[in-house]
Amino acid sequence: MTQTPAPTPGPTPGPGAQTCPACASAMPAGTLFCENCGASLGTPAPVDPSARPVSLQGAMPADGPSPIDEAAPISAATRPVPASVPGSVAATVPGPVPCRSCGASVGPDGYCEQCGTKAPSERDHFREAPADWVAGVCDRGIRHTRNEDAMALLASPVAGERALLLVLDGVSNTDDSHIASLAGARAARDVLRTPMPRGLGTPVARLAAVTKVFSDAVVAANQAVVASTPEGSVNPPSATFVCVVVEGGTLSFANVGDSRAYWLPDGAPGVQLSVDDSVAQQMIASGIPRAQAETSPQAHAITKWLGRDAGDITPRVGELEVVGPGWVLVCSDGLWNYASEPEALQEQIRLSGARDPATLALALTDFANAQGGIDNITTTLARVVAPQEETHG
Amino acid sequence: MAEFTAAVYQNEFLPDGGTDVNAIVTVTCAGAGTAGQSGGGAAGEIIIVDTSGSMGPQTMAAAKQAAQAALAEILDGTWFAVIAGSDRAMLAYPQVSSGPGLVAMDARTREEARAAIGRFVGSGGTAIGTWLDLAGTLFASVPGVTQKHAILLTDGENREQPGALDAAIRRATGMFQCDCRGAGTDWQVEEVRRISQALLGTVDIIPEPSQMQAQFEEMMRSSMARGVSDAQLRVWTPQGAQVLFVRQVAPTVEDLTDRRVVVNPLTGAYPTGAWADESRDYHVAVRVAAKAIGQEQLAARVQVALGDNVAAQALVKATWSNNSELTTRIDQQVAHYTGQTELASMIQEGLAAKAAGDAATATTKLGRAVQLAAETGNDEATSKLRKVVDIDDEKEGTVRLKAAVQKADEMALDTASTKTTRIKK
Repeated sequence: MTQTPAPTPGPTPGPGAQTCPACASAMPAGTLFCENCGASLGTPAPVDPSARPVSLQGAMPADGPSPIDEAAPISAATRPVPASVPGSVAATVPGPVPCRSCGASVGPDGYCEQCGTKAPSERDHFREAPADWVAGVCDRGIRHTRNEDAMALLASPVAGERALLLVLDGVSNTDDSHIASLAGARAARDVLRTPMPRGLGTPVARLAAVTKVFSDAVVAANQAVVASTPEGSVNPPSATFVCVVVEGGTLSFANVGDSRAYWLPDGAPGVQLSVDDSVAQQMIASGIPRAQAETSPQAHAITKWLGRDAGDITPRVGELEVVGPGWVLVCSDGLWNYASEPEALQEQIRLSGARDPATLALALTDFANAQGGIDNITTTLARVVAPQEETHG
Repeated sequence: MAEFTAAVYQNEFLPDGGTDVNAIVTVTCAGAGTAGQSGGGAAGEIIIVDTSGSMGPQTMAAAKQAAQAALAEILDGTWFAVIAGSDRAMLAYPQVSSGPGLVAMDARTREEARAAIGRFVGSGGTAIGTWLDLAGTLFASVPGVTQKHAILLTDGENREQPGALDAAIRRATGMFQCDCRGAGTDWQVEEVRRISQALLGTVDIIPEPSQMQAQFEEMMRSSMARGVSDAQLRVWTPQGAQVLFVRQVAPTVEDLTDRRVVVNPLTGAYPTGAWADESRDYHVAVRVAAKAIGQEQLAARVQVALGDNVAAQALVKATWSNNSELTTRIDQQVAHYTGQTELASMIQEGLAAKAAGDAATATTKLGRAVQLAAETGNDEATSKLRKVVDIDDEKEGTVRLKAAVQKADEMALDTASTKTTRIKK
């Protein structure tokens, strides 16, 4: 769960020896557990939405009359963990997986048979890699008890052709925001499946057309979030929205709230594409230095969000033509809390030494967890090697 | 087929650095059937009656009648025997000197046993250890008998060499269950309770001979309703954790902590004996290593096992939180039973101090007992305490020892000290 695995490249298929992430012993390919220290060598189970749901509640009667006689109306029985989150990567425990903490096997009740550590549910930690140039990690972090962030990715198999990176950060302490954020992310993704309109030729017309598409996506996400609101909720779920569509060298982006998009080129200054709808941003706009604004008590109060109690949900939209190799990063504040400036993120990328997006997403997530993991962490990346001349063709 | 369910009541939230997890696990059995009928082996019953010289004519007459009434409750087909106990144990029925020492109940054997009981004559001393040993020998003589239960009646103090009774109790422990009753007021509650606790039975006082028959019938009926011959409570704890205690807390307080049998390095089994359709509560306390805020882990898997089969499981969890609203709450069930457990020891310690002539300690302890009985709504304890102390202030636990107390009332308070009530609305 919050035990951050040693920063090991996730899937390292292919022949040859592997190295134990815990004790660095060399093990033959195909070994599942380190023969020296017992740590798991297996790659984390791939996200499989069809994974068989396993109830986490053991033999505890979920509903129905209390097993205690009627003379004992009792403190409430420990609340059973919901077996699944409707329409989502369910809160499931996939088959027999090794414990992330000690490497022993996880029982059918979702806890390690040896050390009792709770196996992360797929909702607490999931990864997507729709193509080898696009990947994301959505992680619960350390301090929060559930992962209310969500992401949705799309990518064409051809590197650089078309990709979608979308992150919704469900607001803490609202009802079922982990369900709402995922539903919202998927609804928006469905709107953004088709290529961006080219408009009528002028940049202004094109931006207007792109804005319309993003607005539709935000509306769809908002409807999904509202639809996920539990009946009679006095604390309805709400979420942020941030999205980048990569089409060749064109980055189209939109955001509501304080989740962020960055363009981080190799060896050149990076840029934050999104502009937060937050109190901190308002303070920055009024001249307070960023570092001070972002650590102020109200820094994380957002001024725009999706949800039943949302006001204006018009996204800020923009486009950027980029040149040369670099990373598009779309993330939640669980990451940028620890590296807000583009240079700080570029430094972490450099330190990680990662060259593929799956490894880098995991490395940045591990970095945030190592810093305290105070919030849910979502890190999505596209590796863009923009053609020099073709973008305007 | 009996069905077990288990439910957990706990506050799983621990503060930063917190290590101790407390939970009440309620185990419920339904569809138990009747003794010896569930295919798990035959049932055996032994009736042990004190026939020492101290039994007065009235008590002896009542004991005979009660033992005969208990015979009537034993289901046909059940293996049984009758022991007459004095300074040694006599096999009153069946009258054999070798081979199987139990016979199957039917109309004929019931009548023969009735007649044998009718011939009881009081003489000699009291050597309860020898009674238990003979019962063990008899149960062992019929291999097919898996569910073994005895009822034991005594009217006096044990007169064996020091340690002899405890040795016999150790030999009997895990072999058969035993409900014990004391007639009159010349027996020792503490001594007989040692037997009943070790042998997973009950203890009570029968102050008047006229009450004996009803008690015997009731004990035997309860035993015949236990269709599950033996169940274990298994407690798994994570590596490095420590089981602080495992107690049954309802219907009575019984500390099981020291009765742990190792199943594997992480799991211990605690005996619970035979089950009828009933529900029992267990208080499990586990110490785990503290983890970071936000982490969740399993502190215990509590299982009901029939042989090697796990019939039900409940999960005790620990989640570290920096939200003091969550971490400072004490689960209502845990609080209730913690109070009831303290109540039992306050009564026992208070009465022991009183017997030793330490009025000050007795007043303090029984005062605390009065307070706890009121707080936890244990009206039976309150009414029994009222016969031993005058209560000035129930809330404050201010009491005075009564000048004249009926011995039987004091003993009744003592035997009932471990009975608990369940939480009130």
